[in-house]
Order: sequence, then structure tokens, then C-alpha cells
Amino acid sequence: MVSSINPSLKMFTVLIPGIVLGLTYDVFTPLVYLMFILVVTFTMTTIPLLRWLKFFSPFLLIAAGFAWMTMLYTNQAFSGGEVIFRLWMLEVTTGSLQTGLSVGFRSLCFGALSLMFILTTDSTKLMLSLMQQCKLPPKLTYGILAGYRFLPIFRHELKILQQAHRIRGVARARGIKGRVNQFQRYAIPLLANGIRKAERVAIAMESKGFTGDPDRTHYHKMIVGKRDWLFFTLMIGALITVFVLSYHLGYLEIFGRSFG
Amino acid sequence: MTQLNRRQQALLEVKDFSFWYEENIAPLFQHLNVTLNQNEVTLLMGASGTGKSSLALCLNGLYPEAVEGIASGEIVYNGKNIMEFEKGELTQEIGIVFQDPDSQFCMITVEDELAFTLENIKVPALEIHARIKKILKAVGMEGFEQHKIHELSGGQKQKIALAAVLLLKPEMLILDEPTANLDPVSSLEFIQLVEKIQKDHQISVLIIEHQADDWLELIDRVLVISRDGRLAADDVPMQLFTKQKQLLEQEGVFLPGDYSSQPTLRERWIQTEPSRKRILSIRSLSFSYRNHEILRKVTFDVFAGEFLVIAGENGAGKSTMLQLMAGLLSPKAGNVCLFDRPLAKWKEKALRKRIGFVFQNPEHQFITDTVYDELTFGMKLNGVSDQEMEKAAADLMEQFHLTPYRLNNPFSLSGGQKRRLSVATVLDETPDILLFDEPTFGQDAGTTSELMDYVMDLKAKGTAIVFVTHDMNIADTADNIVVLKKGKVAFSGSPDSLWKQKGLLYEARLRMPASVRKGKGELHGLIH
Repeated sequence: MVSSINPSLKMFTVLIPGIVLGLTYDVFTPLVYLMFILVVTFTMTTIPLLRWLKFFSPFLLIAAGFAWMTMLYTNQAFSGGEVIFRLWMLEVTTGSLQTGLSVGFRSLCFGALSLMFILTTDSTKLMLSLMQQCKLPPKLTYGILAGYRFLPIFRHELKILQQAHRIRGVARARGIKGRVNQFQRYAIPLLANGIRKAERVAIAMESKGFTGDPDRTHYHKMIVGKRDWLFFTLMIGALITVFVLSYHLGYLEIFGRSFG
Repeated sequence: MTQLNRRQQALLEVKDFSFWYEENIAPLFQHLNVTLNQNEVTLLMGASGTGKSSLALCLNGLYPEAVEGIASGEIVYNGKNIMEFEKGELTQEIGIVFQDPDSQFCMITVEDELAFTLENIKVPALEIHARIKKILKAVGMEGFEQHKIHELSGGQKQKIALAAVLLLKPEMLILDEPTANLDPVSSLEFIQLVEKIQKDHQISVLIIEHQADDWLELIDRVLVISRDGRLAADDVPMQLFTKQKQLLEQEGVFLPGDYSSQPTLRERWIQTEPSRKRILSIRSLSFSYRNHEILRKVTFDVFAGEFLVIAGENGAGKSTMLQLMAGLLSPKAGNVCLFDRPLAKWKEKALRKRIGFVFQNPEHQFITDTVYDELTFGMKLNGVSDQEMEKAAADLMEQFHLTPYRLNNPFSLSGGQKRRLSVATVLDETPDILLFDEPTFGQDAGTTSELMDYVMDLKAKGTAIVFVTHDMNIADTADNIVVLKKGKVAFSGSPDSLWKQKGLLYEARLRMPASVRKGKGELHGLIH
């Protein structure tokens, strides 16, 4: 299961294909890898389909937007080939269509990989692992964890502030100037409270013997085991396979250079 | 009395200690000389803003460094100056439980939070599980390992905070208003837990608290810090509370009910009967948030000149009720009517003139840069002439002792001043009904009685007053109390008839006020 993979290694396993795919300019490579990611997502995680779709749909929209814009305004270097259709002043050629689709699929790959990581990773475990595997200083990781707890508190405080302003008879802001003023009125008390709370938490943490010393014991030992490397090999192996396949079929294109 | 025998070995000696937040301002406290002994329970009292919390943090060595303050004099722990301790060493000897349950944790689950403490002191990973289990048992929270901290009640959070500190095996425990956020029964339970732990572990305890009542059985000694930051008293409770009443009153300290010869709070004001003029009527009101039912079929009325208290445990829906009454939230079913007209049908501007709302945290209400602007904000919106505005503001500043601070920024005022200003801002035009959310929370005796004086004055003039409060001494002064339990009205009637229903009181996690309790032996009978 993806959720039990060591978070730090999972992060790299997801980042590498994300970056490498960014270099491909053909349609075949990202499309095949995207299908592979989807297979992994639905066979090796327990994310409910509906929940996944809810998060993935914005990525679909964004990817479609990227693809469309890239297709219409393709860089001269990639826009060769026959003209397929004309839109007002713009010519869409086979080259630009291919580049557009490629951009779209690459964005979807990136989205699907990110979701696979985010929806299967516990924030506490990620921080513990970053501290144990990547040697991030405890001051930073525990700081982030403490900050994470603040998010719902901030939302609650903002709601109270809005109510308080309503009570005082401040009408809902209109226009840009009103919005800016309103933001200023909210920002000061929110920040003042935020800073005060952060200080309190810092002091409470120090009172519990926290000094930021990296030499500490670890109750939850985060380890990188066989299973983790297996997952890494699977994801990266699939990436290499897709590249090799694409190369043999003559589709592979990196930075506009064909390797067929 | 056993105090004298106990006073043997000094644990912590404070010698001529002074502390400043910044240079060139008056010190927060000065020339303190006090010795805290082993296995002794000390209560530290004083008006809000006298630096009690800062002193606690000086004692365990986090201040002045953490705030870049300045200190003079010395503090000696077990014969060694605290400056000579390594970083993180002294905090293990002197553990602190803080007031705010929401800002003293950094992890999500109970287990991780407790493990965090043990990891800090380098306890081997294999021992951690057993240590957590043991300490949770000691604080009565067995089996809560996997619970999320933010989903616990205030009382449970404070028990976890206490457990975390006890894991350090401290020689001394400092409790900084640990029960301020808790409902009356949770508060009593926490105090009994501290009592048990103190007896079992024989540790020194320093308690910072405004209300001494429930701690009396436990404390050996009381320290009082004066408004100018000096040690004003250091004595056994009996002596102090009987012989130095005048001093205590002057320093804004609540006298425990048992020692108070003053009339109970409710006898302080001339009782005025509410009229039959109905201001607000709530009819089978229901409200839910994210499919979670908060209020269910609530019905009651508020009359002109009535002082109504809404009480109940944390999470019973009291604050939501108040927000619905102010029209800040819209009901799911049923309605709230102001003068027999549903709130939704009122124009926002007219509604705000008739209903005033005072928030728990005064800072939430401040929207301008000076006290004067704050007071005149509403008048400006309503187009009041400059002359009238000037006069009204001057009157309010006079009445609320804010005249010298006319041009100060509201955020720079002291706690008591902020509370007074937050009340003054809603009084620019006399509203028909005033709603208060926990207005006396964290306030000292002086500020509390001042606030009650204003409120009773308004009530006498015919304004309806509604309080949400955990303070049963204040609830006792009300004309009527509405008790909410799990979103439903469990009781509605006069305080005296409520105090007779012991079963209901316990179920709603409320208690009789100290004045009623006196001599009835309720303190221990209720829970044991």
C-alpha cells in the first residue's frame, strides 16, 4: 500500500518522474505514464474514487487550459507540420497540436502524482521522516507541525472578527479600496493573536524540555525498508520502461529534439 | 496546621529579583524575595497584569531570554543559580501547565504529544509506550492514546497538559490559571487530580489563580503580588484571608467565599424586577453545523430589565445560542424575534442599534487606532454631529475611567482597560438588549466587580442583559438561568430553584456558587 511507504522516499519517488516528464515534448510518453499512475492510484491506495475525482477535477481544468493556450501560441521551434485549422489570426499545425496535448498530459501526470502523495501521506509522519531520513532540524519540523495545528484556529478567529465587525455596524466592504481597508482591519488583530499564540506554543514546547537539539530519541522510528525500495523501483522502473518504449516506437522527443 | 513542620528545605530561592520587558519602563515586578520549599503548595495571587505568568517563566529559566527582557537579582534552585543550568535542564525540574488549552500542544494525537516530551529528554524509544500508558492512567485518561487533541474537551486537554509535564518528573509544578477555561465541574475535577498527584509524588506546587475557593484544602501558603510589582503578602491562608482583607481588596484579589464577610454578590445591588415587556423571544430554535446538531428546539424569552444567564458545559451550544440571538447566525428551524418581529426582517442597521454584543476577547471588537475613534465609530456611521459626538465620548471615557487614554491604541491598553473599552463601545446608543460572551473570563476581582456595577446599572434602567458564563457566583445574581445540555434547554428558572436540583447541576457540569455552598459540604460530597 502506498500509504505505508516511507514519506521521504515517497516524496522523491514522486518528484523524479514529475521533473523528468517535464522534459518530454511528445504525447505518447506522458500519456502512457499517466495511465500507469492511475493504475497505481486505484490498485495500491484506498482513496475513494469520488474523493479523488473531487481533487483531480481542478487539475483537469487547468491542464485543458494549458493545453489550449500552448496549442494556440506554440513556440516557433515546435510549430512545424501541416496547418490543421485556422482560428482568426492563429494557425494550428500538427506540431502545435502535439505540443499542446503533451503539455496537457504532463500537467495531468504532475497532478496525479501530487494527489497520490498528498492523499496517502500523514503530515506528522512526513515531518518525522524528514527529520530522521533527511536530517532536517527538529526546530523546523516541529515548528511546521505546530503551525499546522493553527490552521483551523485561524479560520475560527477570522469568523469571529467578521461577526465583531458586523456588530459594530461595519457594512460589508465594497470596491477595491473597501476591500483593502477591510483586509487591514482584519490583518492586525489576526496577526497580533497569531504571534501571541505562536509565542505561547514555543514557550510550552520549551517547557517540555524541547531545545531544538537534533540528538533525540524517536518513538516512531521511520525506516526505509525493502518495501519502500520496491515501490521506488516500481515507479522509476516504469518511467524508464515508458521512455525506452517511446524511443523504440519513435515517439520520444526531448526539448523538441526527436530521438526516434 | 502542618505548614510549620513542612517548611524545611528550600527548593527555590528568589533573591532581590526584578524584571523589565524593556529598558526605561517601570519593572513588571521588583525586589522580590521569596523562598519556595519542598513539598509545599503555594498560591500566587494578584491583579491581572502584575506579571504572575512572567514570574513563573522566570522561575523555570525561559524568561528573560525568550522575550529579551532584563532581570536583576538571582534565582537559586537547589543551591545552584539557575543561570548555571544547561539549556533545557531546568525546565525538566520545574514543569508548567498553562492557561490556554489550545496553545500548549504541538502534535495532533495524545500519544504523539506525550512521546514528544519523552523524546526531548532522550528516553529510549522502547520505554516510551509504557511510560505513556502509565502517566495516562495517573491522570485518569487511560486509553486516550490515539485521540486527537483538538477533539478533546477543555478539561481533558488540561489533563493531557499535566500528564506531559509530569513525564519530566519535575520537582516542582507550576500551574498558571489551569482551570480558567473549564466548566465548573471539570475545574473541580482538575483540582482534585492535582491534589492526588501532589500527595502521591510529594512535589512542590505553585498555583497562579484569581479564585482561591476550590484550592483552599490544598494550599499551605499564599503569596500576593501588589499592583506595583512587589511582594505584598506571604502568609498561611487562614491568617491572610482573615487579617488582611483590606490589602487583598486593594490589590484586586478575590476573597474566598468562606472568608468573605461581605454580602454575597447578589446582595450588592438593589434588586430591580424585570418588566413584562418582552424584548427577545426564542421559539423552538434549532441549529446545526456541518450535519452536527448544536441546538434543538430551544424556547425562552428575555424581558426588559432582566438579567439572564446562559450556563452549561463546554460544547453545550451556549456561544452559538448567543450568536443566534444577535442575528449573527441564521436558525435552521424556529425563530428569534426582537419585539415580536423575526430578526431576519429587521434592517441590519436598525438591528445593530438595538442589540449590543460584547465578545469574550475584547481585541476582536477593536477596529480603529485610538480609544476616541473606537468610541465614536458607531456615531460617525450614524451621522451624529461633531459636538454631540465629543460630549458622548467624553461621558463614556469618564464613566469607564478611560479619559487619560483617549489617544492610546486600543491594543496597547491593559486587560481590564480593554474589557472596559469593549463594553463602552456598545453603549454609544443605549441598546435594548446586551449580550455578553464570557465577559469576566480571566479578569481579576476589581475588573469583575466594576463590570458588574455597569451591567446592573444598565439593567436598572431597563436594558435586558444576557451573559454566557461559567462563573456560578455571577450566575447567582441573575434573575433567571437557562441551562443548556447537549443543545437542549435542561432548566429555565431562578438561580435559587436551580441550586436545589443537585442531580441536574452535576449532569450539566455546573456547581452551586460558593456563597450557597458554604457549610453544606458539597465540595467533596458531589464527586466522591
